[in-house]
Amino acid sequence: MIKKALTLLLLTLAASTGWAQNSYIPYKTFDGEHKNEISGYVMGGNNVVTDKFGGLEVSYTRHLTPRWHVGGDAQMQFGKELFSVDVQGGYRLPIKWGNISFDGKIMYNFYHKFGFHEMSYNISATWESAYVDFRLGETLVHYHSHVWGMGWGYTETPLLTFGFGVNIRHRDNPWNMGLFFRNYDDFYYENWNINWGIRWYAKVKERWNLFGEFNIRPAGSMSQLASKYEGSVKLGLKYKW
Amino acid sequence: MKAKYIFIAALAAVAMLNTSCEKVSPQGVLMGNTGVEDRVKMSELYFKEYLMSSTNNIYVRPKENNDYSYSFLVGADSHLTTDPGRMDEMFALGLENDDLLYCHLGDIADTKPEYYIVLDSLIKKAKERYVNKYYELNDLNRWREKIDPYDMIGSAYDDIKFPFYPVVGNHDLTHNGWALWSNIFHSSFYEFDVNCGYDENGVPICDHFIFLDTASGTLGKRQVELIEEGLLDGENNYRHTFVFGHTNIFLPSSMEFASTFPREQTYFLLKQFDKWNATIVFCGHVHKWDEQLFNAVYFLTLDSMSERNSPKPGDYLVRINVDKDGFIDLEKVHMNYVAPKK
Repeated sequence: MIKKALTLLLLTLAASTGWAQNSYIPYKTFDGEHKNEISGYVMGGNNVVTDKFGGLEVSYTRHLTPRWHVGGDAQMQFGKELFSVDVQGGYRLPIKWGNISFDGKIMYNFYHKFGFHEMSYNISATWESAYVDFRLGETLVHYHSHVWGMGWGYTETPLLTFGFGVNIRHRDNPWNMGLFFRNYDDFYYENWNINWGIRWYAKVKERWNLFGEFNIRPAGSMSQLASKYEGSVKLGLKYKW
Repeated sequence: MKAKYIFIAALAAVAMLNTSCEKVSPQGVLMGNTGVEDRVKMSELYFKEYLMSSTNNIYVRPKENNDYSYSFLVGADSHLTTDPGRMDEMFALGLENDDLLYCHLGDIADTKPEYYIVLDSLIKKAKERYVNKYYELNDLNRWREKIDPYDMIGSAYDDIKFPFYPVVGNHDLTHNGWALWSNIFHSSFYEFDVNCGYDENGVPICDHFIFLDTASGTLGKRQVELIEEGLLDGENNYRHTFVFGHTNIFLPSSMEFASTFPREQTYFLLKQFDKWNATIVFCGHVHKWDEQLFNAVYFLTLDSMSERNSPKPGDYLVRINVDKDGFIDLEKVHMNYVAPKK
């Protein structure tokens, strides 16, 4: 009964805002004043395969112009023994109901625990409005074992990348929180495994923002048998100048 | 205006949640009904109590000149309802070809009690045909294999194992279907050996068959632990290892609307297949044929053999022939059954 009620609430929220805008990237969006952003977060969680894990992440974004930005991210996750770096860039097109951003990202993951190297190439378009965000894109993922004698690995068929988020306050508000549904996170892209959760941010000083996420990542979503796979929290700080 | 849309959306959501179609469980997109951990706990108990014994191993019936070649038949996603035609055909094809065993890759029946009654009845009839072909009654009115006419002890009918080995699929579990599935098949993961005679030094030649519970798109914490502890490793040095699971590792194309494994689970499995020195990994789930070679392991994803998903006759089954020297040949097997028009 509780499961049904919660599902009903989430579906209702999603459906009632479904005509709206873009994906949640509040700490990457140009505010019209600051050209540099640096942020970092600590994370911790539990994964069915790797058990408890924790990690550190750092990001840097440079707004070259009010429209163009480039940046990079890196993380280390202990427990999972996952090491990641990425570079990304994008173009923001202001429209009447918010922004449409076109982004590209190249990401490398090393799953040391399993001996797998993974490269991901993503392009996506994000529609971001005052309360809602929506992202659609394509991702190409290639992975191979660290034992090169085993062959050149496997390139997955292009994955549809999608995300949807809704906030309770206007995006310019000093604090905000909301819900998200998506098949990716900062350092992975999935096929039809949809993770969902709660996100928030709050301005603590003129140049400082706190942000965080609670992320539920089930397995088997589109097999209609979503099962406990991973839960994690992130807590971060962003500085802009 | 906004309230109107919210009301319509709420109505749509309620309608979706209460959909009782046997193949669709919308709330399972976010939260599943039957947990993999519970299934594995139950299966672990059953497996350790009843399936770990070497009595569950299968012995190849030797042909002339010490020829221990054998074959086995694999099918997937039969989604059986009230029409058992394709499943019945699979058993008939296996029996006709003298296949040593039959494997099924999950989603054997859509989750309704009456479908499982049909399935149970079908398996019982197939066993009758199997026993009648390979067994005869001895003087004690017990069953002995026809190739062993000197077996005076024989077996009770119920002790004869019908060699049908399924794994559980996601559609076997939606709408709390585990109770139905486990009532017939008991354990969602297991392993056994196929003994193929002896080498020149008198050492048994064995192939290894491993069946995994991958229905939830994850093995679950306990199954991962059991695999890491070596529960499914077997006890011999194996010539071939064949692994069977429902959820596919590789996506045949980008727009197949089915979940595969999350990243860490995929890499865990690929590493484990390498550790097991697997020869072939069989999967179903996505209802599309696919074959891949990765890390020297051959991956086969089978099309659905269901008469509803694949209504026309076609090559929906796979037969693996293992010759006396251990060489493997893959053969696609044609199914002719077509459901009668209503």
